[in-house]
Formats: sequence, C-alpha cells, structure tokens
Amino acid sequence: MKPKETDWNQLFSIIEKHKHEKWGLIPLLQDIQESFGYIPPDSIEPVAQALNMFPSQVQGVITFYAGFTLKPRGKYVIRCCRGTACHVKGSRSILRLMKKELGLEEGETSEDYQFTLETVACLGACFLAPTMMVNRDYFGKLSPTKVNSVLSQYKKSEKC
Amino acid sequence: METIALIIDNKKISCPPGTSILEAAQQNGIKIPTLCYHPDLKPFGACRLCLVEDENTGRLMASCVTPVAPNMSIRTDSPDIKRHRRNIVRLMMAEHPESCIVCNKGNRCQLRAIAAQLGIGETKLYSMPNYKPLEQANEFIVRDLSKCILCGKCIRADHELVVVGAIDYNHRGFISRPATVHEQPLEKSNCIFCGTCVSLCPTGALSPKTEYYVGTPERESRSVCGFCGVGCSVTMGVVGDQIAEVSPSHVRTSVNGSTLCVRGHFPHEFLKAERLTQPLLRKDGEPAPASWEESLEIVSTRILDIRKQYGPQSVAFIGSSECNNEEAYLFQKIARVLVETNNVDNPRAAYTQAVLRRIDEKTNGRCRKNPLARLENGDAVFILNADPGEMNTVASFYLKRGSRKGVSLVMANPVRTELTAFSSAFLEIRPQSEFELIKGIGALLYEEQATENGCASPEMQQRSLFSDTDLDKVCQAAGVNMDSLKQAANVLRGKKVSVVTGDEIMLAENGAETVNALLELMAMTQSLGKEDTGFYVLAKACNETGAYDMGLLPDALPGRQLLSDDSARKHWEDTWKVRLSPDQGLSAVRMIEEAEKGNLKALYILRENPFEILPDPDRVRKALENLDFMVVQDIFPGELTEMADVVLPGAAFFEKGGSFTNMEGRIQVFEPVVSPPGEARQDWEILGHLTAKLGHSEPYDSVEKIKQEIARVIPMYSEDGRTYGDWIR
Ligand code: SF4
Ligand code: SF4
Ligand code: SF4
Ligand code: FES
Ligand code: FES
Repeated sequence: MKPKETDWNQLFSIIEKHKHEKWGLIPLLQDIQESFGYIPPDSIEPVAQALNMFPSQVQGVITFYAGFTLKPRGKYVIRCCRGTACHVKGSRSILRLMKKELGLEEGETSEDYQFTLETVACLGACFLAPTMMVNRDYFGKLSPTKVNSVLSQYKKSEKC
Repeated sequence: METIALIIDNKKISCPPGTSILEAAQQNGIKIPTLCYHPDLKPFGACRLCLVEDENTGRLMASCVTPVAPNMSIRTDSPDIKRHRRNIVRLMMAEHPESCIVCNKGNRCQLRAIAAQLGIGETKLYSMPNYKPLEQANEFIVRDLSKCILCGKCIRADHELVVVGAIDYNHRGFISRPATVHEQPLEKSNCIFCGTCVSLCPTGALSPKTEYYVGTPERESRSVCGFCGVGCSVTMGVVGDQIAEVSPSHVRTSVNGSTLCVRGHFPHEFLKAERLTQPLLRKDGEPAPASWEESLEIVSTRILDIRKQYGPQSVAFIGSSECNNEEAYLFQKIARVLVETNNVDNPRAAYTQAVLRRIDEKTNGRCRKNPLARLENGDAVFILNADPGEMNTVASFYLKRGSRKGVSLVMANPVRTELTAFSSAFLEIRPQSEFELIKGIGALLYEEQATENGCASPEMQQRSLFSDTDLDKVCQAAGVNMDSLKQAANVLRGKKVSVVTGDEIMLAENGAETVNALLELMAMTQSLGKEDTGFYVLAKACNETGAYDMGLLPDALPGRQLLSDDSARKHWEDTWKVRLSPDQGLSAVRMIEEAEKGNLKALYILRENPFEILPDPDRVRKALENLDFMVVQDIFPGELTEMADVVLPGAAFFEKGGSFTNMEGRIQVFEPVVSPPGEARQDWEILGHLTAKLGHSEPYDSVEKIKQEIARVIPMYSEDGRTYGDWIR
C-alpha cells in the first residue's frame, strides 16, 4: 500500500485550523503527521506561509523532533529500544533479529509501506527491558521468540 | 537612570540593567573570547567560549547571554575558566577536518585564532570529523559544512539582518547543520547570495569563492561600493595590486552595517573584465597607443579650435552618475567655465534626478536628508512602483527588517516582488496609474480627516488635490478594487508615512504631478520634513544625487541651483569669474539630435554609454560618426572607444579618491585601494590636467584641492568651508 498522493484539501483545512493559534506550529505539524502518517515535504512552504515563518525554519522544527518525519512511514512503526537498561538486557541482539526478520535497516521502510524500523534511546519502561513498541503498543521482557511472535502478529493481521 | 554595580576582574563597573556581562566587560576594555557573539545579532549562547565565573557562587555562565546583576563578582580568566575554554575549543577541533593549511579562511579563521591564543596545538582527543560534501556549484559561496561549529551566526544573519530565510538548522545534535529547505544547494534555494553569512562565519565553513587566490589578503583598505546608490562601506582585501575579495567594513554607523549585496560582495565579472590601460589616439583611421601629454594636447587644441570656429554651442559633455563628486564638479566646470557652454548632462539618472528636483523645489530643500534607518524604525512606508530588492538591495533589508518589527508596508506596484510578502497591503496597479492611485488613497484619508473635524478645516480645504476624487474612477484607472484600496488607506491611517519610489513614476506623462501628489500625501499625514520619515528615491548608479548636486546638468548649477535663476547665476559668475549663459544647454538626447543635424561638432564622453540614451542605437551610432571630434574617457574598451578620436583610460571607483553622495544624502569620502592598471589614471587627475591645458590658471593637482573648492563654493557640502559634512544639507 503506497502512501496516497497528498490530499491538498485536507492539508489546507489542517493549516486553516491552526493558522491563528498562538504557537500553532507544533500542533499543526502534529496534526499533519497524524493525518498523513508523515509530513509531506511539499507542505513545508504552505505551512510557513500561513504562519509567516521562513520555510527553512519550519523544516528546522520538523527535523529537530524525532516525532516528525518527512518520509512516508510504514503502517506499523516498530521502535526498538536501545537505551541503557535495554542494552544491558541484550537489546543489541533483539535489534539484529528485527532487522533480519523485517529485512530493514534502522530508519528504513519496507517497499510495501507496511513496516518502518526505528531505534529510540529509551521508551520509559526500563523495568520491562528489553522493550519495543509497535505504533502505540508496548511489548516488554522480549526474547527472540517473543519478538518473532509480535512481528508475525502484525504481518498476519495485514493478510486478513 | 538606574544602574547596576558589579565587579569584573577586580574592576568596579556600573552599567544599565539588561546589559550582558560580555558587553559590560567589553565597554570597560576587558576582553573575553567569543565565537558566536556578534554585536549586530541577537545573542545566542551557542559556543560557550565566553564562559565567566561568579566568584560568589562559583557558577559558570556564558557571559554573552547572562545579564549583569547587582553585586556580581566576575572572573573572566581564572585558571578554571581557561581550562574549560580550552576543552571547548579542543572538542571543536576534534570535530574539525584537517584541512586548515589550504583553508580559504586563512588567518581570518576565528577558531584558529582562538586555538592559538589558548595555546592549543593538538587536541589529543579522538578525532571525529563530521564530513559533509563540499558545495561549490554556485559562483559565489563555497560551503564546507564539515568545518561548521554551529555558532548560528549565518542563520541569524540570514534571518535578522537580510531577512531572506534561506537557511536554518536542520536535525539535532552532532549531525545538525545549517540547511536550506529540502536540503537543496544554495543556488536552488531562495538565497540571494548577499554573502552576509559568509563574512560573519568564524570558520572556513562558509567562504567566498574566488579564482584569483587562496588564503589571506596581504592588506585591507576601506572603500565605498560603487555599484548602486546605497553606497555600502566595504573593506577590500588586496593581493599584489589585485582586489582579491570584498567584505562589509563592519563600521557600526555605515549604511550597510554587516550586510552587502551580491553585486558589491562578489564583483567577479567586473574585476575580471579587460581594461583600458593606455591613452589611444586615432592615427590613419586606427586607434594607436599615445602618450598622455600628446593625447591631452590634442583634446584641448581640438576642442578650443572647434569652439573658435563654430562657437561654444558646438561642443558638448556627457558625464555620468557614476562619476564621483570631484570629477562631476570638474567636468561641468570645464564645460561652463573653460568652454563656456551649458551642454553638459548625465543622462542615465535623468528621471531620478527629475524626482529629486521636484522634491527639492516643493519642499525648499527640507527633504534632502533621508537616512535609511528611518525605514526600519518608522510607522509606515508607502512603496510606489519600485523594486528596492532589485535596485538597492541593502535598502530592501531595511524595509524587511522594519516589517518584521511592525512597520506597516503598503505597496503599489505593477508586479509582485519579494517585498509583497512583507506588505500589509499590496495593490497590483496598472502601469502609469500612480497619480490616480495616490489620489485615491489620499482621498480616503482626507475624507476621514474632514468628517472627523465635522467640516473641512481651512487647512484641509486648501488641499484640493484630494478633495473631489471619484474613487470609482480611481479604481478603474489603477485596475484595483475598492476593498483593497480601502485596506491600503486603512493601513496608513493615523500613521506617519515614508515614501519609497523610483524613477519609473516619471515614465507617465503626469510623472511630475505624481511626485507632487506623493508630497501632498506626506504633508497631509504630517510626515513631510520630519525627523522620523523620509522620501526615498531609489538610485541605480552610485552618485546620482552627487551628480545633481555638482550641477552635471544642462539647466542646473552646482548646489541644486537653477541656471535660469538670475541671482544664482550671478553668484556662480562671481565665484568662477566668468559670464554664464542663462540659456539651458543641450540635454544628452538633444546632443545626439544636434550631432545628427551636424550642429554639434565635438563630444566628450566621461564614463557613459550614449547608446543607451535613445532607444535606437543605430541612430546614435550615425550621429556620433557625424561628429568632428569625440573623446571617450572610460575604463572598459568597447564599441564606443573604437569610434573615438581620443581614448583616455580612467580608474574604477576603488582605484581613485573622491566622494559619492548616496541615495540618503550621505557624503562618503574614500581613498584609492589600488592603482589603476597600466598607464590609466584617476579621472580627476585627467580632468585636472585638461583644465590647465584649457587655460585654467589654478592647477588642480590633488583631489583634496577639488574637495576644498566644493566645500567652499557649495554650501550644501560645506561643514566649515574647508571640508564636507557627513550629510548634504
Ligand atoms: S556555517 Fe559558519 S556561521 Fe554558520 S553555524 Fe557553521 S560555523 Fe557558524
Ligand atoms: S548569502 Fe545571504 S541570503 Fe544567502 S544564506 Fe547567506 S545570508 Fe542568507
Ligand atoms: S547595495 Fe549597492 S552599494 Fe551596497 S553592496 Fe549592493 S551594489 Fe554595492
Ligand atoms: S532503556 Fe529501554 S525502556 Fe528504558
Ligand atoms: S560567545 Fe557566548 S556562547 Fe558563544
């Protein structure tokens, strides 16, 4: 499933919604990210214009936050924790396994836009280390088998 | 006034609240090293090099972003601080690639200078260079962001000073770099190559692209940019006798501060072009090298012969708005005093000067001084059919900064420009409908004032220009709708209004009335001749104002006096001890026409291209071929020098001494930076020699002497009768 063409009407209605907010940039970008799954690079200019900023400034904010991305991402964003606690509990091999299973390197998205693999510095659930997230769901106390089962769950859910 | 007392390095200091520790120290002669601080930019606190310690608390603080507080006791160079600073620089160096020796920044690299000061040779750290591809596809700027230390000066310059917004930080942490939108190379972004970021970058991350040399110039001299009427103050780096690079001179009071535009900053084409290096005399139909003595002898005898045979009206002089004041004065003096003709003109700035003359006449000279700074700090600016970004780029920076600070811009232009996005109201008007449009805006403002007062006050009634205006007609003529016209008037309502316009308003038949209407508009809004407003006329050439002031015109004398004014003429007759004809001389256009007819016999062209005077260059060529004698004094060879009987090689602006008067009315004096090439000479010198040959008794043997004469005889230029003031008056 390729990402759809940018729906400009939708984009402009989002911009319109936040245009007059004070400090509207971040909520606006969040809204775009939420609706499109990423921030289409072509939206930088109209956003900048609406908020009377330089496009370079808007881009600077987007690239500063890990939560925003300019590239379309997969339907499922897999985040592997590489924080200290998880590292101690063997997250390096967990990551290696994920890479192999998904056939993706860090930051990559599968060609069918199903999966994106990312690493984060800590998911804030160290007591469950090693941890991972799929979109908004946490999975902890990972072992290779558990990782396989989690991943296959999402692979399967796609098929039916 | 409230002050704060503190101690810095055992020295008792007091300063106003809000001063940063760094500034307080600097004001008291205490030096603190910095990399990201610049007085023209908002403090940023990125490099941490300016660390100081408060002895009371032991706290370390970045002094550029920490305001002074009462009872602080600051140490700027304790061993601890020095150690910290050294570590900061070591870390920067560890991230730096090892190409210092071949770096274009050379000895101007501040990182290198500071490392040397702090005694850092090797960092003894694990080197972690952050390689980024070198970007140098454009002709002006080389970006080597592996050398970037993230001081943010380029970004702040780009946002705060030139308000272009081409770059901002991208990403975060170690990989963070200044980047354009979509990380395109500069030439694909909206960068205007003003180079302001380049001259502020403390390292070799941004450097000017030059073909002439790599490294540090041997010496630096100040001059004034001669590429437009802003007259930016520049520092020129010289290698041998070649200008290697140009940068803003960073004089706080200069018109440009830390900025420049692409023309002034990177004049590659101009510096590379072939030059005239030797006088040429036509012998057997071909231009051949000749000596100065012989050439000038021929010029003077031929001109005097022709005058004797055909009368003074058969000789004419075309000067240029690129001549500096001293040349312009001498040139018109040669025409008026030694040849006794008023046939002298500077055609390129004819329209601009016509606007200036109108303003001067109508305001009795009360509007001569128009500092650009007022555009940044005033209430409102009305921009009428002008493109400052294109014509006087540095002036457009003032407008854009002003807009960001809350100055309201109203723009009426036939096309959208960069400034449109900065305007509170934009009217896309039909060409040559300026007069109608001002009437419309004036009428809307007038109505309001009239009704507010219940009935029109006598003063208002006098302002008949705006009183009976048919607004529908205005909208029709200008091609704008009523709502946008009203919006424009609303923005200006109750504000003091400055005006920015250019020579294009004179293209309309009623151009002169347009100027009057603008003056009326300013008068009605109580903005005329005030300390915080101005009437700005864009100037393409560097000395359009000065050429007018020096009387390089067929119908005006120096000091903006009319030739037709009997008392003014009498004054100049006494000053110069000659008789002046009250009849206006030939304008450049008429000169060509008279040459065509065979009435004009000799023409002396100084730094001007007559092919641009008339739309039909063939016609000009035929007219010039019809002359008996033509002298061309210029710096570049070309079609014109091919045709001339005598070619006199002059000097480029940075090769001579003199002064320009910029579009603000600021008189800027400069000295030569390098000598003219080959046998070429400074233009005042050539003209000076000629005056002697033409029979002037007092020799003009230094530019100083001409300056003194100008200061003595033109009150506008005189501070004490011996030197110029800073501004015309
Ligand atoms: S490019 Fe130069 S000016 Fe810009 S942040 Fe880097 S070091 Fe500073
Ligand atoms: S050259 Fe001028 S416009 Fe371009 S990035 Fe630098 S400061 Fe901005
Ligand atoms: S604005 Fe004019 S004077 Fe200033 S650098 Fe550019 S061309 Fe030269
Ligand atoms: S380190 Fe993995 S959740 Fe904190
Ligand atoms: S100069 Fe103060 S932090 Fe850079």
